[in-house]
Amino acid sequence: MSALLKIEWLKIKKYPAFWWMLAIVMLTYPSINYMFYNVYQQVTQGKEMTNSIAKMLLGNPFAFPETFHTVAYFSSFFVILPGILVIMLITNEYNYRTHKQNIIDGWSRKEFMAGKLIDVAIISFVVMTVFMLVAMGFGVYTDPDNLGRIAEQLHYIPMFYLQTFAQLSIAFLLGYLVKKAFIALGIFVFYYLVVENILVAYLKYKKIPITRFLPIEVSDNILVAPAFTGNFGKDSKEAYLLSISLVNQQVILTILYTVIIWLICFKVHSKRDLN
Amino acid sequence: MMEKVLQLTEVSKSYGSIKALKEVSLTIPKGSVFGILGPNGSGKTTLMSIVLDVLGADSGTYQWFCQPQTANDRKRIGSLLETPNFYHYLSAVDNLKITSAISGRGTNADIDAVLEIVKLSERKKSKFSTYSLGMKQRLAIAAALLGNPEVLLLDEPTNGLDPVGILEIRELIKRLAKNGITIIIASHLLDEVEKICSHVAILKRGTLLTSGPVDEVLSNEDIVEIGSSDLKALKDCLAGMDNVLSIKEDNNRLQVHFPAGTANMEAVNQFCFNKGITLNLLLNKKKSLETKFFELTND
Repeated sequence: MSALLKIEWLKIKKYPAFWWMLAIVMLTYPSINYMFYNVYQQVTQGKEMTNSIAKMLLGNPFAFPETFHTVAYFSSFFVILPGILVIMLITNEYNYRTHKQNIIDGWSRKEFMAGKLIDVAIISFVVMTVFMLVAMGFGVYTDPDNLGRIAEQLHYIPMFYLQTFAQLSIAFLLGYLVKKAFIALGIFVFYYLVVENILVAYLKYKKIPITRFLPIEVSDNILVAPAFTGNFGKDSKEAYLLSISLVNQQVILTILYTVIIWLICFKVHSKRDLN
Repeated sequence: MMEKVLQLTEVSKSYGSIKALKEVSLTIPKGSVFGILGPNGSGKTTLMSIVLDVLGADSGTYQWFCQPQTANDRKRIGSLLETPNFYHYLSAVDNLKITSAISGRGTNADIDAVLEIVKLSERKKSKFSTYSLGMKQRLAIAAALLGNPEVLLLDEPTNGLDPVGILEIRELIKRLAKNGITIIIASHLLDEVEKICSHVAILKRGTLLTSGPVDEVLSNEDIVEIGSSDLKALKDCLAGMDNVLSIKEDNNRLQVHFPAGTANMEAVNQFCFNKGITLNLLLNKKKSLETKFFELTND
């Protein structure tokens, strides 16, 4: 296990795209959250009655402990960035034919796939670390007085990890089966941004309640919209409470989906010719 | 009893309707330099890919080191299969570190040593993507040599090398063979195989035509090359001689084939002289691998 980790790290640590991804993630996560924070400030900082009402309704979503939930939700929009990297890391192996060479040099098929699993785990971990730092940064910056409540919603950290790992596993599966970087990327981005959103809208319109089982939605629903979205009347409260009550199920389903994805990868790889 | 490094038993492989290997059985003895010959598309690379677990055989089995197959077998084999396969964004040293970590062969000092052998030391820190074809091939050879494996499996090892490089690799292989390393080489360069191999196997369209020690494979006929001013009279005359298997005309001379070990130059000379023909050429020609190869692989 540690040998596999060491070898995968040898492959990743000098791969420029890895550092680019990290740099972009480190820029986008604070930026997107800062953007929403600015909007929050604009609607709550005035002296008028509406501003006070807004403040009452919203609370401070960027203060401890809510920051972990809020920042996780907004940051998770950008899973496409590490997704690109995950696809590159597997399609590179085909492109350089190192998927053959690793086997020739003495890895079993299983070890090769375990290495890739480790890649996805490492990247999810890196992304999670950035999220954690950004969330804590906002917590400290926006309301240092609440620091004492830091531990109340820490479970959003492993939930963010699970969501990222699950969605990156989908990206990996595509890269692994399609083999060509651009085609896999195209399918991933198109599905992630377009197809599933249309499906969700259509199914909701038709009142067919299966959207939460779709491949991306299943893990998207682990991180539900921040708590303040439930403060806009009875309907929004009900919707928020419903989605919160389903989180446990979504977690279990996500783990199940992800296990199936990796079982497929291991199974296919144990048999297929490495061309 | 001869110790075996690799044993294949009736290995077959198809790509769709094309049969790439047809029930190939082969034994590679320890310490041999084993040449696998065949024209393009004869199944050499397929055969090597199967024994390295890159491809799965449709039927048949193989065994390395007389043991049930495991991934660890391959750690004992330094291999170059088809093309140099390395991470483009890494240097020679970093690529070999990965080879070493996977195979468990070689230390950092060994990495420097093999890069010295293949003359890449000066560029060892440059990225693989900046290498010329020949340099990439040298790095692949370095990776195969790393940590002194017991067996070397080289698929077209001199691909892309210049004449000096080819000579260096040939000398290197001879030197390694002397140290008792088993070397398996696939090639379509007959000259190369003839110069360095102790054993040879010839493949054609997936079928193993022959295999064994080079001497045995080659020496089932003696060839005497002779010439005279009247080639037609000479041919008619020789047709009457005992033991002659066949006569071929080639480049204003005749090649007379005798069963192995029966060609007697003096008897040939005497026979022709007695029939009133004087020879202007008389050569005992050992059959070259090239002749044998064409004979076997031509339809």
